[in-house]
Amino acid sequence: MAEDLVLDTPIRDWVLIPLSVVMVLIGVLRYFVSKLMRSFQVPDAKIVKEGQVIVRARNLRAGANFIPPKSFRARRFYFSNEENGLLHVPKGQSQNAQAAQMFSDPNMATDMMKKNLSMIIPQTLTFAWVNFFFSGFVAAKIPFPLTQRFRSMLQNGIDLSTVNVSYVSSRSWYFLNLFGLRGLFSLILGEENAVDDAQRMMQMGGGFGFDPTKNLSAEKDSIDIIQHEWALPKFEQRAEAVLRKLVH
Amino acid sequence: MVTKTEETQLERLENQVDNGGGGAWEYLCLVRKLKVRRSEKVLEHGLSILNDPKKRSTLGPEGDFVSSNAEWTLYEQVAIAAMDCHSIDVARDCIKVLRKNFPESKRVGRLEAMLLEAKGSWAEAEKAYSSLLEDNPLDQVVLKRKVATAKAQGDISGAIECLNKYLETFMADHDAWRELAEIYVSLQMYKQAAFCYEELILSQPTVPLYHLAYADVLYTLGGLENLQAAKKYYASTIDLTGGKNTRALFGVCLCTSAIGQLAKGRNKEEKENPELQSLAAAALEKDYKQRAPGKLSLVTAALKSLKVSS
Repeated sequence: MAEDLVLDTPIRDWVLIPLSVVMVLIGVLRYFVSKLMRSFQVPDAKIVKEGQVIVRARNLRAGANFIPPKSFRARRFYFSNEENGLLHVPKGQSQNAQAAQMFSDPNMATDMMKKNLSMIIPQTLTFAWVNFFFSGFVAAKIPFPLTQRFRSMLQNGIDLSTVNVSYVSSRSWYFLNLFGLRGLFSLILGEENAVDDAQRMMQMGGGFGFDPTKNLSAEKDSIDIIQHEWALPKFEQRAEAVLRKLVH
Repeated sequence: MVTKTEETQLERLENQVDNGGGGAWEYLCLVRKLKVRRSEKVLEHGLSILNDPKKRSTLGPEGDFVSSNAEWTLYEQVAIAAMDCHSIDVARDCIKVLRKNFPESKRVGRLEAMLLEAKGSWAEAEKAYSSLLEDNPLDQVVLKRKVATAKAQGDISGAIECLNKYLETFMADHDAWRELAEIYVSLQMYKQAAFCYEELILSQPTVPLYHLAYADVLYTLGGLENLQAAKKYYASTIDLTGGKNTRALFGVCLCTSAIGQLAKGRNKEEKENPELQSLAAAALEKDYKQRAPGKLSLVTAALKSLKVSS
């Protein structure tokens, strides 16, 4: 086991602090750039309607027992009949159509490009910059001991198994900043403007290949199998119980 | 929906602001966030901020330092409140300032159209809304404003048409369903209103007001089946409000007696349980005894007449 490493103060002044400051500045810059590039996009009527249909169908599923059986059956027919039900997806209109539409719409493609570019370019650049200038530094030490499992998180870029795990390498410091600055951004850029990298990455994963028609048919299936059991008759007894308590 | 804690917070802030304790900006922010309608207060306190350059300049840091658009949001809020209070001049001034700063803005265009609407120049307002819709046919605010203009002109069928068209796309908007339900009730189109209330119950099954309104509509429609359903919904209202809703209690009594009258000649295989009615009547009498003893005799007489007829 190695002795305690002594971290040079210039490392703090020239690695640790500059890295954090640069990350913050890049976040702010990116916010403004994305604000500049943000284009107002008129939502597509069909997509909006599909979303609303799904919300309403979900409401029907959740509250089905609160409306009389006749009303429920009428609604179910409205949503899921095979001719023109709102949730019924014609066979010909499969995912291909959706994908084709996505790629044929240049606006959508460029919008996605812009979003991704504003995220990927600064990220790769900063990562390259950190790698080039600061690789291999031990930049900080956390004041408590940690188990070996944290080594890959905190000592990315240092291939030494003998260094105490509580030391943080510069590259790991970069990653910690990348994912941990959200609170700070929400402070300086306002609540809703926080640039959240982690969230964006998730969005990116889900953004491609999303198919609303699949949602529709899934919702249709679950509406088809609901057993409607009117809850209101039970309420009479419950009301009686309530009143009995109230009167006596 | 405004929760209880939010409401008390709003009340507290309102008191504080009214008594000169400061915090006007926080109050306005809260009003905006909760989307409550306090137009007179907003107008009063908003104007006091806007007319005081010192206070206005402090708006920036209280928002956040990057977006100093708190001031413009305030202008918009005050303009809308002023239109609601019919202070057309104030609204016009606010909108003028906004227009100067955002010459191209659609949002300001919306305000201008609303100003026309507030002034009562319907034709011009409708033209403005239509041109706004050309740019964005799915602008919910503008679509709703069109309904409101139609209604304000007394063109109820036009309003219904607009609302139906709106709901065709935005069918999960329960406020619109509610508006439509109320319009239908006002036109005595109870079947349509019943459908709308069903939709409201579906979207918020635990709001007793919708159960109550639905029961009212069913009771008004009449017929044995509807009356039985109405009684059930009155019962659910009682359950959801803990028996505190007088209208629901009366409703149960009325429904039971009406059902009794209708079912008199027929076979009584499914005997309505009379206990609910007597309990409701007892609850009513107790309630009146506590809160309005002078009217107790009236209530007892009315309830007795209901019981006799059943």
